Amino acid sequence: MKGSDDKLRERLSQAWARRAGDRQPPFDSTWQSAQSRHAASRRRYRRFAGVAATAAAIVVGLNALTSMQQPTYIEVAELLESTYWSAPSDVLLPDREFDIYQDMPVLFESTEPAGGTLL
Amino acid sequence: MRDSDALENNPHVSRSALEAIHGQVYGWALSRCDFDHATAEDLMQQAYVELLSGNARFDNRSSLKTFVFSVVQNLARSRFRRLSSRLRLVRQYQQESSGAVAQISEPVDTAVWRAVRALPARQRDVIELVFCRELTIEQAAAVMGVSTGTGRVHYDRAKKALRSRLQDRSEEES
Repeated sequence: MKGSDDKLRERLSQAWARRAGDRQPPFDSTWQSAQSRHAASRRRYRRFAGVAATAAAIVVGLNALTSMQQPTYIEVAELLESTYWSAPSDVLLPDREFDIYQDMPVLFESTEPAGGTLL
Repeated sequence: MRDSDALENNPHVSRSALEAIHGQVYGWALSRCDFDHATAEDLMQQAYVELLSGNARFDNRSSLKTFVFSVVQNLARSRFRRLSSRLRLVRQYQQESSGAVAQISEPVDTAVWRAVRALPARQRDVIELVFCRELTIEQAAAVMGVSTGTGRVHYDRAKKALRSRLQDRSEEES
């Protein structure tokens, strides 16, 4: 069995060697190419990291700048003193300020249609 | 222990150790890409880049040769996964268009090679690794990513299939 294994091994090795041919790139050239590819990929990565860090710094800076410039809409003292409040930053809210103590009872008692519906 | 020419991101791998197994690894890479030398060289470079960058990190759990063979195997797999169907079509077309010519011009000693090509991929791989790349069955199984038991089964089946095919061939010739 061992002898036939060796014979098979020899035949296969020869067939493989013949199929592969003699052309084999020298180690040095392959290694140098790999090193230059590695260096290029590191350069690309560093460039990308630099760009990403700069972009992140710009975004954070702009954000900080706008938050410093914007006036604060919610005044705690004003909220405590009054009974109505509207969120000025929310453009979807109606312009009219709504006093829940003054306006709600009127609306509940009203029989006038408002916006096509009867309240 | 760190060799003087050890890689920065892979302290257990040295340039000289890679140089010593370069020929064997190239043979393996060559058979991974259907004996296309340009692709095999590119695959080798890519494998070395993986080692240089530390993406493929060797931690002495196996032999370096087994490890580098596995790196090449994985790179080849991921590279050819998408291309495999296209390659199959190209080969089919080539066989259809020049099958008769190829059969005539093939040398007689390719009988062995044809018997090898007829084997299933895993059997072919294990037989190549053990017979031509001088790995043990355990190492070959590790390279292929299968258990040692499975490796042994593939190895035995491959040997049996090769023997019977080559025997049939020699009987036909005689």
